[in-house]
Amino acid sequence: MTVEDEMEIMGQRLHEKIKNIFGRSLSIREVDAGSCNGCEVEVNALSNPIYDMERFGIHIVASPRHADMLLVTGPVTRNMELALLKTYNATPDPKLVAAMGSCACNGGIFGETYASGSGVDRFMPVDVYIPGCPPRPQAIIFGLMVAIDKLEQKIRKLEVKA
Amino acid sequence: MFDILIKTLKTGTVTTKYPKKPDIAPQGFRGMPELIPDKCTFCGECAKSCPPGVICLIENGQEKSLTLSICGCIFCGMCEEVCPVGAIRLTQEYELASKTKDELLTIIRRTA
Repeated sequence: MTVEDEMEIMGQRLHEKIKNIFGRSLSIREVDAGSCNGCEVEVNALSNPIYDMERFGIHIVASPRHADMLLVTGPVTRNMELALLKTYNATPDPKLVAAMGSCACNGGIFGETYASGSGVDRFMPVDVYIPGCPPRPQAIIFGLMVAIDKLEQKIRKLEVKA
Repeated sequence: MFDILIKTLKTGTVTTKYPKKPDIAPQGFRGMPELIPDKCTFCGECAKSCPPGVICLIENGQEKSLTLSICGCIFCGMCEEVCPVGAIRLTQEYELASKTKDELLTIIRRTA
């Protein structure tokens, strides 16, 4: 079996997983927590005809109340800290948090200063880290694939509890 | 109207088939930094030059260890530039997403 065959099977599996778990769609709320807007440009590129993430049923939505997943960019500045926590609390369960970009993962080039926290995982549990400065659109798609696996486990846990 | 139709037909489909087919990054793309343990002399030049400070050289008595966390890496390529022996280089790899931070950590050790 060649690498291309394996990748094709992986793509089919992703499609099936999204169909089974989400009823054909995954809604993402993108939160800018003090990012330099490099990551936002890449997220924009995801919805253009070249990368077109709507073919997997992944959408960007306008409210955290409609979302399954928070895509956080930036090192979480002091001014965005409360807004981010409010957004997290407004998202219905089961929810996912993806830290996108090096700043959201570990502080990145901003580091830890009086005005910026170092990473999203200080404030809320993070499910997937997507490093890159900024990550390529393909890298983000790969990150979402990793995230979907995680959500499957979360749903199972909730089912066991109920 | 026909102009637009002809243009559309000429262009064809531009959407990448990414998760189904592997997408190789273009030449010169700065991806994941890779440490080559055999070449490394533990001089610490890369740790000094790293802007976000994700490369750390730790000396603990006889043992020296170099840790590289891709988590906060900004892929600037400074470490590759300053390394005198070429023990660190940037690859084309970009599929780095992971569920834990530990998976993004590389450690090499040497006992003198």
